[in-house]
Amino acid sequence: MVSSRKVGDALTGFSRLVTQDRVNAYAEASGDHNPIHLNESYAYGTQFGTRIAHGMLSLALIAEMLATEFPDTWHDGGNIKVRFTAPVFPGETVETYGEITSIDDSNGRPVATCKIGCKKTDGTDAVAGRATVPLE
Amino acid sequence: MPPPLISSAEIGHEFGPYDVTIPNARAESYAEAVGGDESPAYGDSLAPMMVVAAALTELIEELGLFSGSLQTVHAGQEVNWSRPIKIGEKVNATGRLSANSVRRGNHFATVNVSYTDENGMEVGTSSTTIIVTGEDL
Repeated sequence: MVSSRKVGDALTGFSRLVTQDRVNAYAEASGDHNPIHLNESYAYGTQFGTRIAHGMLSLALIAEMLATEFPDTWHDGGNIKVRFTAPVFPGETVETYGEITSIDDSNGRPVATCKIGCKKTDGTDAVAGRATVPLE
Repeated sequence: MPPPLISSAEIGHEFGPYDVTIPNARAESYAEAVGGDESPAYGDSLAPMMVVAAALTELIEELGLFSGSLQTVHAGQEVNWSRPIKIGEKVNATGRLSANSVRRGNHFATVNVSYTDENGMEVGTSSTTIIVTGEDL
């Protein structure tokens, strides 16, 4: 199969309302019950002043985008590298995004490098970085 | 209370192995937290990020970062994955501290993690960078 992907192609992003219920469920899934995610009175005394979502939850949303966009290859040689640049507070909506910035086919298996991330509604990046994904 | 491990751990310090086998109930919680109409159909496979998150929780606990007096910020994350993992499939995670420095009173630490299946074959790697602040450091 020859991939039809090309540099400049946008990945299909999606929006997600990050509710406290989602944060609670993520705590159960990951085992991370840090009170900064779950306990409002504790979180009030932190630098954030309120509860924040797990950074890995936002990263998981980006990975969902990549798994949907590259269903046959993302889990078979995919790489992602990100910085967590702003906290996401329960009740905020984030939107994932991505774009293919280069394609390397020098090793016989084409690999796309993508700029990826998720933004808050004010345009602030919550997570930003890049991913590489085999195309075949 | 003794100081957390991050105060004294040297480069090369090893963590684990942790059993990060994900049972069905946790996979369902993950889908509840992350999923939506456009989510991929995983079938009986797991999102690798869930395995990474489970290992990260173990690491944070061993580093002593669940202490109420410490504040930990997840600064960076890298993940490589080489094959799908099934729900309930045995996976072990072992970590190694690759950086641990103090700047302006903040601890900056990076831990590299290798994930192996029941045959000892590596199925993924990750690298986590955290920043920790607190009076107990």
